[in-house]
Amino acid sequence: MSGPDAAPIDYKALVQDDRIHACLYTDPRVFADEMERIFHRGWVFVGHESEIPRPGDYVTRHVGTEPVIMVRGSDGTVAVLINRCQHRGTMVCPADRGQARTLTCPYHGWTYDLGGALLGVPYPGGYASLDKSANGLARAPRVSSYRGFVWASLSAQGITLAEHLGPATQLIDRSCDLSPVGEVELTAGWVRHRCAANWKMLPENDSDGYHLGFVHMALFRTIRSQYQRVVGDEKTIKAVVRDWGQGHIEIDWSPGYQGLFEWLGNASGPAVADFVAALERRDGPSIARQRFREGPAHALIFPNLFLGETNIAIVQPVSVEECVHWHTPMFWKGVPEWNGRLLRMAEAGMGPASFLMPDDLVIAGRNQLGLHARTAPWLLLGRGLDRETVDAHGRTVSHVTDETTNRGFWRHFRTVMTAT
Amino acid sequence: MPSETEYRAVADFLYREARLADEARYAEWLALWTEDGVYWVPATTDPGADPERHLSHIYDNRARIETRVKLLQTGVRYSQEPPSLMRRLISNIEVTEADGGELAAESNFILAELAVQARRELHWWAGRLSHRLRRVDGHLKMCRKTVVLVNAAEPLPNLAFLI
Repeated sequence: MSGPDAAPIDYKALVQDDRIHACLYTDPRVFADEMERIFHRGWVFVGHESEIPRPGDYVTRHVGTEPVIMVRGSDGTVAVLINRCQHRGTMVCPADRGQARTLTCPYHGWTYDLGGALLGVPYPGGYASLDKSANGLARAPRVSSYRGFVWASLSAQGITLAEHLGPATQLIDRSCDLSPVGEVELTAGWVRHRCAANWKMLPENDSDGYHLGFVHMALFRTIRSQYQRVVGDEKTIKAVVRDWGQGHIEIDWSPGYQGLFEWLGNASGPAVADFVAALERRDGPSIARQRFREGPAHALIFPNLFLGETNIAIVQPVSVEECVHWHTPMFWKGVPEWNGRLLRMAEAGMGPASFLMPDDLVIAGRNQLGLHARTAPWLLLGRGLDRETVDAHGRTVSHVTDETTNRGFWRHFRTVMTAT
Repeated sequence: MPSETEYRAVADFLYREARLADEARYAEWLALWTEDGVYWVPATTDPGADPERHLSHIYDNRARIETRVKLLQTGVRYSQEPPSLMRRLISNIEVTEADGGELAAESNFILAELAVQARRELHWWAGRLSHRLRRVDGHLKMCRKTVVLVNAAEPLPNLAFLI
């Protein structure tokens, strides 16, 4: 399966309905294919418009392994520029974020406007003719957003963002509609957590309801949390997993929630009353109460955006055995009095010093080590195949501990990796 | 200016705290805190960081410090099971008198951590420590500990041990 003359990888053989092959996590050629087919041709989440509110605000990110700048132009539109000077390839913006009127490369002073157009080069006499219009910063040919969430595709052709998201926009709505003004703000800064495993472990684990009672046993033994109800008897667990298609997959805890705000640590008090009143005014009492009972989405938007309940997370592939998990709390615009609590929940759940994620990532690291055992190369993916059902909207639904989500992820992976 | 004796007592406290953290002696480490302790590890080196507006790695009140310790004591906190092998050096200690008879200690640290839980990597950590210490029943205790890692804003591996 290796060497420069090897045949193209047969993804149909490696991704089967009830099992997948370990080389999908360990073969650098698979990683290279993913960077092309998923992260270059497809739609990749980059950031949120609230991170760059003013013209000239920018953040630096990666689309796959390509460094990019998400910048708000002087006309207010958001562009995703490739963070590489057209002249000698220098990274133009090294900082995580900043504010600029123009973007200047430090190497030879080439200067670009906020849309990436080349404004000027020092000592222009050295060029008999330099076509400035052909030498701007490269930019993502397609940038699109939904409710402030910004995606880029590095390919000029392909399905639209709306086609990629499909009905999974409802998952984003579920999170955003908790804000009285329907907007979320990602302004708390990001924490990045290094993971010594293939990037696909993170979307798979983020949507795996089976591991909670085991990987997070320490937490369940220590404090009560909203996840307590999914570690009991198999028959009494009401939460479900759901496959929305196109690789978008969800754990829905809400069938197990009885009261409001169970997902928010059973919050109570005046701030809750104001929050409820604000949403009731907008949506009426019935819908408002439903929103507060269900809480925000717990879902993976293929391939790299995780709606982690009150957090937003990004999966950044680095190499075949290395990735980074980003997270930030999701602030609801209009109710800033919740920000402090949302910060503390983010620190409890995600990040290198939190009470959940370090345990996930150490297990991911052990998975990565185990997957090098070539005598036993298959991973089982069949849990729940015999009890899942299809709902009225065509979504496959099953018990929260079933691998319906993993199968949804891999089915879409196979489609993308074998598309002609 | 604190006296030589006070300086010595603060240095001894810092060394002892470091040793208890290194050796995963969780209950003894917890006993070094006052009842109103605040444990802060910002996710930035920016001195203007505000834990009420910006995400931190750790911003624990006393109850959460206890939860952190209890998790480690379960024996199934997999990110620290088995515990990392660690040794840290504390240096450049400066002590000043603070309000309310408390003492403020600033120091630098460097920590070698062998993360034995998966890939068995050696991680080097370094940063600035700020301790606020108070005498309780004749013993120094910490009411605030802030750890500003030099790489606070970078992607970090697991930080589930006591930093």
